[in-house]
Amino acid sequence: MHSPSQLKRDFLKQWLKGLQMCSYPKKEMSILERKKAIKLSADVAMASARNATSCWGLALIANASKEGNDKCLVEHLLGQESERGKMASTFQLAILHKKLRSKKIIKKSCSVRRVKKLTPRMVLASSVAKRLVKNRTKVLKSLVPGGESMDEFSLIKETLDYIVSLRVQVDVMRCLANASDLLNCKGVHG
Amino acid sequence: MELGKCAEARSADCGEKAEEIGAGHFQLGEEIRTLVSAPPDSGSSFTALLELPATQAVKLLHSPELEETPPAAELPPVFPACKLSVFLGAGNSPETGSIPVKQEPTDSDSPPDNSLPLAADPMAVNGDRKLTKRKEREKKVKGPAKKSKTASACETDGEKLPYVHVRARRGQATDSHSLAERARREKINARMKLLQELVPGCNKISGTAMVLDEIINHVQSLQRQVEFLSMRLAAVNPRIDINLDSLLAAENGSLLDSNFSGIIMPSMWPEGQFNINRQQYPQVWHQPVWGREEGNPNFITPENSLLSYDSSANSGKSYFLILVN
Repeated sequence: MHSPSQLKRDFLKQWLKGLQMCSYPKKEMSILERKKAIKLSADVAMASARNATSCWGLALIANASKEGNDKCLVEHLLGQESERGKMASTFQLAILHKKLRSKKIIKKSCSVRRVKKLTPRMVLASSVAKRLVKNRTKVLKSLVPGGESMDEFSLIKETLDYIVSLRVQVDVMRCLANASDLLNCKGVHG
Repeated sequence: MELGKCAEARSADCGEKAEEIGAGHFQLGEEIRTLVSAPPDSGSSFTALLELPATQAVKLLHSPELEETPPAAELPPVFPACKLSVFLGAGNSPETGSIPVKQEPTDSDSPPDNSLPLAADPMAVNGDRKLTKRKEREKKVKGPAKKSKTASACETDGEKLPYVHVRARRGQATDSHSLAERARREKINARMKLLQELVPGCNKISGTAMVLDEIINHVQSLQRQVEFLSMRLAAVNPRIDINLDSLLAAENGSLLDSNFSGIIMPSMWPEGQFNINRQQYPQVWHQPVWGREEGNPNFITPENSLLSYDSSANSGKSYFLILVN
């Protein structure tokens, strides 16, 4: 894994590039649009800083490039790598979906009812726990981009990755926000 | 075609049969014989089965185990038994990853060599689980007595390794099913421990559900922070222009221990905006370090032109400059 500082630098570079590209096309944007553009560029920068080593990154880019409005933006942001990146991401997503579907089919066809030898009370407790865990994994799958097409094991790995990158993102954005605040303060006072 | 039907029936039944097949190989053989009893020519049905995993069938034919079974009548049941597992393998081939494969349980009766040819099958890409059980079966020749459970070190590296050495602990069920599940659970638990260390406040919590809860909260809070910060950035600056050329130039230049250096502030900054004493913001600059000065204009001191923030840990520092028009 990269060191955090290396990741920060990469992310920042990509993000600044993206921001510059965002701001030039439209001079006047509403605040919400700006916010969206900033967030999108940050996300895409984060994902591409990971250099396609993470599943969630690919999923994020693929999702972002699906929608029409942001598509051009994402293409610009990714630059020359966009073709490669997008193709790679969509390809991988397709593969994952196929795998998932076939997994489900196989599971259904080979599903077996296991004989539970536990007492009813024990069964209840364990099944409750299992249900809880299942619900939570469902929620987690919805949170992590591209999480639906992952089994439990890789979901955890992706979550790890995702948390680290989110932290980096938050740090850098906070720095930037503080810096700009300071500049504005200076501007006001000076 | 009855051959085709037989093959289908076998593949359909293998799922159910796998669980019901309890004690040993011979019992398995009995049940298979009942399965096979419908088509009288089991040999030809076997060849029908051969169409699918041809290579494995060849290996089976050459496997040493077959030499051990003396009676010729024994052969047809044996083959379908092996074929069951092969079918399961075929059934699993489209998938990848860690789905517990249902197989015949092993036990001391089953010939350990039964696993060997199948272990070598080309579908081993997905079948690290299968191969896990093969290996286990080989090890469990003694029987479900006291054993120690160890997972090989390479198991934690990835999911694509052929052999995972797992043995059953004392008093635990030793059928391949639960062993595979246990191996899987151990992998998942190891990862969960990593997650627990990463997310603050998770160390003291026990129980998967609670830990997952914390993780979910953490991820949600991070995402909310990102949203909030992006909103804040959008509100603050009417337009964000960054002098990227100099940034990148500085980047390519001298990078001193993970700093990337300052950027030229052009003279388009409004005059007097930044004639601020250094003393006003001493606490802000954790360490006003910069790699390189690139001809800063005189009215802006270098320290002010660079904003340094030591974000979280003391490890990297990032320097950047925002030009606001």
